[in-house]
Amino acid sequence: MAAGGTGGRTYSFKVVLLGEGCVGKTSLVLRYCENKFNDKHITTLQASFLTKKLNITGKRVNLAIWDTAGQERFHALGPIYYRDSNGAVLVYDITDEDSFQKVKNWVKELRKMLGNEICLCIVGNKIDLDKDRHVSVEEAESYAESVGAKHYHSSAKLNKGIEELFLDLCKRMMETAQAEERLKGNGASQSASSRRGVQIVDDEPQATPAGGCCSSG
Amino acid sequence: MTSQRRGIHLDQSELLCKKGCGFYGNTGWQGLCSKCWREENQREKQKQIQEDWALAERLQKEEEEAYASRHQKAQSQPTITPFSKFEERKTKEKSSKVNTVTKFFTPSTKTPSKKDAFEAQSSPSPSSSTSRHSSVDSDHATREFIDFLKPLKSGREIFKQCRAFTESMVYKRDMAADELSECVQDFYQNLSDRLHTQFKGSSEHVESVMDEVEKYMMTRLYKEVFCPETTDDEKKDLAIQKRIRALHWVTIEMLCVPVDEEIAEVSDSVVKAITDVIEMDSKCVPKEKLACITLCSKHIFNAIKITKKEAASADDFLPTLIYIVLKANPPRLQSNIQYITRFSNPSRLMTGEDGYYFTNLCCAVAFIEKLDGQSLNLSAEEFELYMSGQASPQRPQSTGAASCSPGSSALGQVHERLDLLAGLGERQEQVMEKARQLESDLIDWSDDVEQKVQSVLESFPPETQNPTATTASGTTPAASSAIDSDNVENEHLPPPLQPQVFAG
Repeated sequence: MAAGGTGGRTYSFKVVLLGEGCVGKTSLVLRYCENKFNDKHITTLQASFLTKKLNITGKRVNLAIWDTAGQERFHALGPIYYRDSNGAVLVYDITDEDSFQKVKNWVKELRKMLGNEICLCIVGNKIDLDKDRHVSVEEAESYAESVGAKHYHSSAKLNKGIEELFLDLCKRMMETAQAEERLKGNGASQSASSRRGVQIVDDEPQATPAGGCCSSG
Repeated sequence: MTSQRRGIHLDQSELLCKKGCGFYGNTGWQGLCSKCWREENQREKQKQIQEDWALAERLQKEEEEAYASRHQKAQSQPTITPFSKFEERKTKEKSSKVNTVTKFFTPSTKTPSKKDAFEAQSSPSPSSSTSRHSSVDSDHATREFIDFLKPLKSGREIFKQCRAFTESMVYKRDMAADELSECVQDFYQNLSDRLHTQFKGSSEHVESVMDEVEKYMMTRLYKEVFCPETTDDEKKDLAIQKRIRALHWVTIEMLCVPVDEEIAEVSDSVVKAITDVIEMDSKCVPKEKLACITLCSKHIFNAIKITKKEAASADDFLPTLIYIVLKANPPRLQSNIQYITRFSNPSRLMTGEDGYYFTNLCCAVAFIEKLDGQSLNLSAEEFELYMSGQASPQRPQSTGAASCSPGSSALGQVHERLDLLAGLGERQEQVMEKARQLESDLIDWSDDVEQKVQSVLESFPPETQNPTATTASGTTPAASSAIDSDNVENEHLPPPLQPQVFAG
């Protein structure tokens, strides 16, 4: 799935942004890609599809971040969004217990539908409002560990923790992609069909090492 | 006659024109002078002519009407059906002809395809206008493709492969759509891998070549692989079209669309977005179809941005897109989505911006298909009522203006008028009621008066002024007295004449 070919090739990753409405998904990604928060002089037309080019340890990475509609009534559309994605950023509001519950639901669904081939990040946003915290750090972190995800704290307002979380995610996705490639034996023609996601049978055994990579990285 | 007789006693005044113009009249001209006669006669004639015309016209009209009604009764049902059937047959014939034309020519594409297209064009088949159009298109695509490949060192090789593959696809017409898609996708994959490894192209370069390859191949294969007969795409198209039509009552408020169509610029963007998503159907190449969706999305973002004054998030975008799709009811929506999914370059669908908007469109369609009362904050009963058309949602009067595109403002007016009419009807009913009451009151009153008069008459029998008459005529005192009283004038009359006998 990742367009990770031979050594010098550019990686292209698709990352979906999931979470309830109003948890700050859009602010997070706007801050990351355009370094803007609540900017009155908006030049950005939209904040639902953003791209970022990165250079990680000499390898070029193109990140495509897909925002999703967080309203409850669109929940059922999730699979259409996260199909074929390499990573998922699950955002909750640390002052809102419900939004954390939503994240748990998403994790369950993602693991069920995509197995371990997707790298998960659980992000507690709005740490600038720490005094109103309703989701405890311990609870969130232990939960993240139990499902093979990494937990981060962030504040789009203060621009805290965002850069780190995406960088980390990219590294993990690269490792997953590389592991996938190794398993395929570097065959260009074989990686070809992987792009289409046709060989579901092949993917299953790879899922385990990929997951191991996720939890370790 | 009279004038004749008068002619005997010749009177000077009688000789003059009846019109009194001062000239002498003539009996032959009905006593008019020559000038007045001409005028009179002309007017008469004109009138006659006009009357004749009117009569003729009326007669003709009557005749026509009679004929038409007779005809309609006899023929209305049967005429329409055979015609539509004929149309159907004609289109069928056309498509089959088109197919045969392509079948006939495409396999023989050993010669350059340009020549083929030309032959197809000059073939005398009169109903091949669509095939002619498409061959012009594919001809054009071929030429462009060749032009694009010319400067590339591996251009010839690429062209050969693409042409061979395109031709081979024609034989696979009867394959399932998924298999066709598989074939095309494998071809894309193989070619792009080859470009990467053999020809050592940079990824941007490979991308641009692949775009052209897609354009060339899909223009040529469009007719074969868009909405193929082996799938039920067409049925799905009709289903979603019907569904969207049934959902015509869904308002901006129900979907929580953050767009204020009151602002001219916003409603302008909305209209543009609708146009773009409809235009998707007219494109042949998946990439161009995707471009339409992207353009539509940009217009939506623009509308949201103007309304909310901040960059649009997915939370705003998806509901608006759903609203646009509901408003636009794009033609062959499912076929287009399927076609793009099957034959577009996969990397574009998965990570590109076009892919994101396309995914959102798929989401919008999925949402519309599964839409229920809950997702619109309506109760199940309300939803059922609206869907069955038994009721239409009450327009919020206060914010009614806010939801006004030109269409909905007209709708609002219609609602207003309907309310007004309903009010008028009620009032008329009241008036009628009152009128009826008044009528019955009047009848009662007159009965009442009659009864009273009767009773008065009974209790005070009328006394006659002439006691002698009473005694004389006995049983009918009133009548006789009345007659007598009527004849009061008789007293003033002279005594009746008596026959007199003249002696002698």
